[in-house]
Amino acid sequence: MTADPSAPPLIRVRDLCRDYGVSRRREGVRGGVVDLLRPRRETLRAVDRVSFDVAPGEMVGYIGANGAGKSTTIKMLTGILTPTSGTVDVGGLVPWRDRGHYTRHIGAVFGQRTQLWWDLAVVESFRLLQKIYEVPDADYRRQLGRLDELLGLGEFLHQPVRKLSLGQRMRCELAAALLHSPRLLFLDEPTIGLDVVAKESVRTFLRDIRESQGTTVLLTTHDLGDIQQLCRRVIIIDRGRVVYDGDLDGLRDRVGDRVELHVELRTPAASADLAADTAGLPVRWREAAGLQHVADFSRRDIRGAEVIKRVVNARPVLDLRVAEQSIEEIVRGIYRRGDAGDLP
Amino acid sequence: MERVSPGPVLLPRREGGLRRRLREPARQASIFVAYFAQFVKSRLAYRVDFLVDMTANLLSLGIQLLVLAALFDKVESLRGWSYDQVLFIYGFSLLPLGLFNLVSVNLYGFSEQYIIEGDFDRILLRPINPLAQILCSSFGTGGLNELVLGGAVTVYAGTRLGLAPGLAGYALLPLLAVSAALVYTGVFLGLTALSFWMEDRLGLAPPVYNVIRFSRYPVTIFSPLVRLLLTFVLPFAWVAFYPAAWYVGGPQWERVALLTPVVGGLTFGLGYLTWVRGVRRYTSTGS
Repeated sequence: MTADPSAPPLIRVRDLCRDYGVSRRREGVRGGVVDLLRPRRETLRAVDRVSFDVAPGEMVGYIGANGAGKSTTIKMLTGILTPTSGTVDVGGLVPWRDRGHYTRHIGAVFGQRTQLWWDLAVVESFRLLQKIYEVPDADYRRQLGRLDELLGLGEFLHQPVRKLSLGQRMRCELAAALLHSPRLLFLDEPTIGLDVVAKESVRTFLRDIRESQGTTVLLTTHDLGDIQQLCRRVIIIDRGRVVYDGDLDGLRDRVGDRVELHVELRTPAASADLAADTAGLPVRWREAAGLQHVADFSRRDIRGAEVIKRVVNARPVLDLRVAEQSIEEIVRGIYRRGDAGDLP
Repeated sequence: MERVSPGPVLLPRREGGLRRRLREPARQASIFVAYFAQFVKSRLAYRVDFLVDMTANLLSLGIQLLVLAALFDKVESLRGWSYDQVLFIYGFSLLPLGLFNLVSVNLYGFSEQYIIEGDFDRILLRPINPLAQILCSSFGTGGLNELVLGGAVTVYAGTRLGLAPGLAGYALLPLLAVSAALVYTGVFLGLTALSFWMEDRLGLAPPVYNVIRFSRYPVTIFSPLVRLLLTFVLPFAWVAFYPAAWYVGGPQWERVALLTPVVGGLTFGLGYLTWVRGVRRYTSTGS
């Protein structure tokens, strides 16, 4: 099952705003006393007129730097937080108003926070969740079987949660969030802290679950790999505003898709020498440290292989490493180019 | 192939029928039982810890009893209350205290674990009453000691006094104990709920907890002011003395004793109201 963009949206967000009141502390002991008597209150806008639709079965990456307003948005979409203004409609329900009904249709995994019972065996936690969500026995067995097949839970199903590795626990968290077969899944940093293998298994699982159950997924992440492998669509938020909403390729085009090639040489050379090696290619060289140099270019202009070939042919190279831009850099890139106002 | 334009996806609401509403308390109770069973199971995984805890708790209860016995070694009676009468009140006081202690551990750590650490978000994501989830998330096993010992002391003192409370008297005892436990829960729930407004950790609970000690003695031995405070302001006179006095102090206490469920309901109601407002504040400020 794939998302049909022309289908009526499952999630409809319009002009969503959320203000926080913060008290600004004055400095020093005297300031402390003054604060006590006359606190300085300020209003901070964490989410600013955010609007978007998500079609049923879509998997959307919601990204942005720390403090950009990601978590605040997710909290409003899951009904934990009431917005200052604006509307959210998810399948006819208003998350914060209809929380009792709504929570039965959603699953959520919030980063490092566990929703399992620390001292209980995994399967006992699942049993409690079955009771909480009133999942009929037959449905529970079927869904657990499916999740077990995809996530390979069998080996640690009977171990207490506290004894699991982070990767094992994250697999259990995902299973726990999906036991009641929710229509929507909210994931906040689902791969944070995981090693490569665990990351891969989580990504494969999310792809499978979306395809087999048509679950609509909204995920926040700092890992560009998550986005590349999972989401055709990304929404970028910065300082509370949506600065980009579209597919990943469009985003790369927009920011120029910078790549850095780190080169470690066997024999000393100046950056100018390397620039001479790659003469004619739109590459900027700088010296990093000692024998290390960095080439900066855009994947839109040339292929990395071309740069590598030129350098390797010209001089002895010890090591090569290609670094892609992080999401933070991409977001910053959008800002540098002043694209913030022009939304697709 | 014919293409059918799909209609909007609607998430169904649960049917709000009377039958479901009536079933809801039973459902929550069954979840409570399931939580409790799981908790005991997980505690038993640390068998030695569990036994040491239980023994230490039993010892401290034993010492309280010894203090009481030592006191009455010096004096015949406390303002007209005999050793056996005071012992009965003490025994009874352990019943609501035990019930309260079973769930109260969650209230002490509430601010730290749920507000500061942010676990309250997770609570709001589940389709059960948030307070029920909090109260069920852990249990103070010492409460079991208090229930058993309290029952034993009450029966022992009652037998020595030759009490014959009649069928209604026996039947009312658990009701009074539960009502008295509601007084405790209401007071501490209200205090706990304040942490929705205050960022800093709450310092009010421990001093209030210490006041509980007063509730084990006949309030008539205290000055009128303290009596007034314990009756109306911090209504701990109702957690042991007023209900127990009916059994050992004679029929003049009947009316006061029978008000215990009312006071329990009011105190808990007030505490719960504060809690609900706190939760509303939490969801509207997110801090």
